[in-house]
Amino acid sequence: MTLWFVFALMTVAAIFAVLWPLSRGVRPQSEGSEAAVYKDQLGEIDRDLASGLIGSSEAEAARVEISRRLLAARDSQDGPPVASSAKLRRSAAILALVGLPIMALAIYLPLGSPRLGDFPLAQRARAPDAAQPFENMVAQVEAHLEKNPTDGRGWNVLAPVLARLGRFEEAARAYRNSITYNGDSSERRSDLGEALAAAAGGVVTAEAKAEFERAVALNADEVKASYFLGLAAEQDGRGSEAASIWRAMLAKAPPDAPWRPLVQAALARVGGAPVPPPGAPAPVLSNEAMAAAKDMSEADRGDMIRGMVERLATRLKQNGDDVEGWLRLVRAYMVMGDRDKARSALGDARQAVANDAARLRQLNEGLKNLGLDG
Amino acid sequence: MTRKQRRLTMIGGSLAVLAIAAALVLNAMRDSIVFFSTPTMLAEKPVAAGKRFRLGGLVQPGSLVRGDNLAVTFQVADGSNTLPVAFKGILPDLFREGQGVVAEGALDAAGVFKADTVLAKHDETYMPKEVADALKKQGHWKDDYGAKKPDYSATPAAAAQGPSPAKQGVSQ
Amino acid sequence: MIAESGHYALVLALALALIQSTVPILGARWRDPALMNVARATALAQLLFVAASFAALAALYITSDFSVVNVYENSHSTKPLLYKITGVWGNHEGSMLLWVSILALFGGLVAAFGNNLPLSLRAYVLAVQGWIASAFYLFILITSNPFLRIASPPIEGRDLNPVLQDIGLAVHPPMLYLGYVGFSISFAFAVAALLEGRIDAAWARWVRPWTLVAWIFLTLGIAMGSYWAYYELGWGGWWFWDPVENASLMPWLAGTALLHSAVVMEKRNALKVWTILLSILTFSLSLLGTFLVRSGVLTSVHAFATDPTRGVFILLILCIFIGGSLSLYAWRASALKQGGLFAPISREGALVLNNLFLTAACATVFIGTLYPLALEVLTGDKISVGAPFFNLTFGPLFLPLMIAVPFGPLLAWKRGDLLGAAQRLTAAGIAALLAVAMLWAWTRGGNAFAPLAIGLAVFVIAGALTDLTERTGLFRVPFATATRRARGLPRATWGSAFAHAGVGVALIGIVCETTWNSEYIGSMRPDDVAKIAGYELKLGDVTQRKGPNFSEMLARFAVSHDGERLGDMTPSKRNFSARSSSTTEAALLTRGASQLYVSLGETTADGAIAVRIYHKPLVLLIWWGPILMALGGVLSLSDRRLRVGAPKPAKSLRGLQAAE
Repeated sequence: MTLWFVFALMTVAAIFAVLWPLSRGVRPQSEGSEAAVYKDQLGEIDRDLASGLIGSSEAEAARVEISRRLLAARDSQDGPPVASSAKLRRSAAILALVGLPIMALAIYLPLGSPRLGDFPLAQRARAPDAAQPFENMVAQVEAHLEKNPTDGRGWNVLAPVLARLGRFEEAARAYRNSITYNGDSSERRSDLGEALAAAAGGVVTAEAKAEFERAVALNADEVKASYFLGLAAEQDGRGSEAASIWRAMLAKAPPDAPWRPLVQAALARVGGAPVPPPGAPAPVLSNEAMAAAKDMSEADRGDMIRGMVERLATRLKQNGDDVEGWLRLVRAYMVMGDRDKARSALGDARQAVANDAARLRQLNEGLKNLGLDG
Repeated sequence: MTRKQRRLTMIGGSLAVLAIAAALVLNAMRDSIVFFSTPTMLAEKPVAAGKRFRLGGLVQPGSLVRGDNLAVTFQVADGSNTLPVAFKGILPDLFREGQGVVAEGALDAAGVFKADTVLAKHDETYMPKEVADALKKQGHWKDDYGAKKPDYSATPAAAAQGPSPAKQGVSQ
Repeated sequence: MIAESGHYALVLALALALIQSTVPILGARWRDPALMNVARATALAQLLFVAASFAALAALYITSDFSVVNVYENSHSTKPLLYKITGVWGNHEGSMLLWVSILALFGGLVAAFGNNLPLSLRAYVLAVQGWIASAFYLFILITSNPFLRIASPPIEGRDLNPVLQDIGLAVHPPMLYLGYVGFSISFAFAVAALLEGRIDAAWARWVRPWTLVAWIFLTLGIAMGSYWAYYELGWGGWWFWDPVENASLMPWLAGTALLHSAVVMEKRNALKVWTILLSILTFSLSLLGTFLVRSGVLTSVHAFATDPTRGVFILLILCIFIGGSLSLYAWRASALKQGGLFAPISREGALVLNNLFLTAACATVFIGTLYPLALEVLTGDKISVGAPFFNLTFGPLFLPLMIAVPFGPLLAWKRGDLLGAAQRLTAAGIAALLAVAMLWAWTRGGNAFAPLAIGLAVFVIAGALTDLTERTGLFRVPFATATRRARGLPRATWGSAFAHAGVGVALIGIVCETTWNSEYIGSMRPDDVAKIAGYELKLGDVTQRKGPNFSEMLARFAVSHDGERLGDMTPSKRNFSARSSSTTEAALLTRGASQLYVSLGETTADGAIAVRIYHKPLVLLIWWGPILMALGGVLSLSDRRLRVGAPKPAKSLRGLQAAE
């Protein structure tokens, strides 16, 4: 509410700026004129002459010239100052009173986010945020490693955490250090590559690709590295090469490998023929998995989704802080047409986050979009 | 002088200066313009040894060899082709294997590019323009390669295109 | 709330700018003083709101509010406070906000201090300012909005770019913008004159202080940018003929020409049409510079083609303003009355010559900067136009200009006496010849060009001094009279003498640095000694040190000259672990105007460090020159004549006349 009050004040100030000159238009204004400039130029010639900078004949010539300009300026001056017309002033005032606020709101509303408050760092640090202790922990580990940079185990712990936080460049550095102090391994190389790719906004850069290649050199069956090498090929526009990499992965993969749907989805994206599905459920409810599920038979798909939802529900029972998780669970139940379960999950969610106002609000916001009343 | 003569003098003077400027520009265009090439472009359209040009591409990882007294050699690659480059001096701060580079110099008889300047810019997200364009043409470039332009609506885990298979169990 | 208020303030500024660009024009057409005065109030209010908007963004940076995309992308909570603030304009969106803030600042200054202008001219000028402002507000709000939000703010910002954490880099863009944007006032005056269809000598006097202010800031901005490149990039180059630099040089050249032609117009009511054209061109070049730097067209023509929103928007602004003003010019210029006559050899003639050479030089820079872009767009061929091109075109055009510089101020208006001027310049000429002869003897006939160029520079400096002695009558009249005259001399005369001398000083620096600089590049181990230009640098110990967010390798050099110990130099190489990037911090040792310059390269496997040492004779003159020029500009600006009829009602105007 304060925000709208501030907006209103600002708008009033802006309108006032337009109205103010309109209100005092009748009074004559002091205004400069060309004549003043030429008079000054005449004075300047006198000064120059007096101090001996120019000769008297030059001064005379210049004086004549400027006087001529002075006369011309007087002649060309538009007659007596016109009085301001009340009609014009009124229309300008209406423009300011009506047009200005409409214009401002019409531009601001589609662009602005008036419902978002400020999030200065200091305030967030004070807020009882569950993420906060975690943040502090990361900072502590970072500080520790800054002092003991050779602690390989520390880097090992820190690197994936940084990647989860979205600090990919630092994660890449941590993985590099981990490789330096813990020794090379295909997993670390491919994690490093992944962090590098994530830092580049998902593009498998030459640098990242080199890491994946090293990983595959260390262990030809390194799943993640192979997957990303395929992705690199796809991004370079070599779809068939990507498809062959991924197809090889699927051929070698055990039937219950959790990453199968993902690779299959990727394969489908580049237009490769899908490899027959083994029917093993994927552990995630990600879009990729959903897309992969399309290729399954009806029953398999149902099983897969149910399995995933069950796991999600179990996890949330143990740790109810995850608002996103709750929302996903509710949504999943609704998609499956099970409104009762959705309702009960909702009840559980409310209970789990009842002590945390911020989370509760987030939950309610999210629920609005689901269209589940109650 | 009459008014007309004065005006003619003015116009004549202006034209003379413009003519001089044009002559200078044309002369300089002939002699001091340097073309840009990449290893692939060289393979298609060879440049005579001794003719100066700018070579752009990525520094082939693992190809940098430091010799005695600041001499270095490395390979410049642009996907399909590579070209050896020899340089003597201090490489710029931002010179790194796997990164874009532009070198100016000429080929010697043995087909080695003798560079006298190796360029890098002060902004680390900077990719030399010619290199970016050349790589883009060959499909080695995705938009927003160098420009850091994250998709801020995405959560960190989704920022990487397709989360890695191995980590999926963790991320839920 | 800060973020949203800042955003809303920006929107209000746009709304006010739209009113400012329409109502006053109608008022001026119908001679309605109330409507014309709306320009003034809206310009001031606009300044207030943009300033609030900019302050809001700065506050967001200081508090590290990462719910704002722009802050999240370009800041980091561990940045030092100073760099959080300078980070506000270290990115595209913020720098555009700075751009419009400065535009509004100039508009506000005209509104506040423009009481000496006729009401209708002020209304037109501010309305034109309003057009420019509206265009750029729209550009910011639609394509580069710094106030966009993220619903769930990330915990940490993304940027800690170490190279950008440098005070030189932080300060020179605002300087450049003050210059670029300042020329918008001359542009607005020119367009206003065309709209009014009336222009005369008084116009030139009104526009001159604004042109001067812009020119002073642009001069300083270019010089600072050049010095930053010199010490930060690690190899001692100070001018690269890089498109970004050229983008600032072109408005400077055109602006310098404009300053000179405005003098002719003010004094003699001549060159009016040309001056108007120059005003338009100068700001057009500023806009072009903004386009080149901000659209990304320099980074990659293809990037521009694939993500065209921003670039196309600026291009559109560019076309509308340049095309529109030039069409207006073509339509109305012929209606402007021709002014005073003058002979080719006269003060006016000299200034015309100055304008010719400056604009021709500007045109060559223009061609050299845009030709590669045009060629690439048209044929796909990539070429680079580097220093050799500009040395071969810009240099030969600048040299005759330098010869003419000392003559100009000594010629009389209307009809000058070239022979008389030459006689008065005899002393300067002798000084120049002596300098040439001495240098020639000293370098034993080495490079013939350098002594000649330095002789020319000495001629320019001595010519500027001659102008002053001539005017004060020093050596001709008693000393007391001369000092009295010196005090009575218009400040503008002092200003032009300083500025001209500054050109000479800079030229000496440029010639000395390029001709006689010596370099040593090699790898050194502790206790190795490098000898360069009579200096001995002994590498002492190499130490590692930890800074706030970097670790650095420091090398200590003991410097001595002819056995006399001068001090230590400690260049370093910093590694920023967060970004795994490194920067080179050069060490400078100043001796008079000369400098020793040491920067470090890689460490080789056997423990030696690659070292670059330069001796740069008189290099500092390159930047002292522009400072002298800017000082000249400030002196001119303080000339009382430019304040005539200034914010005083009729009563004090009478007082002013009485004083004369």
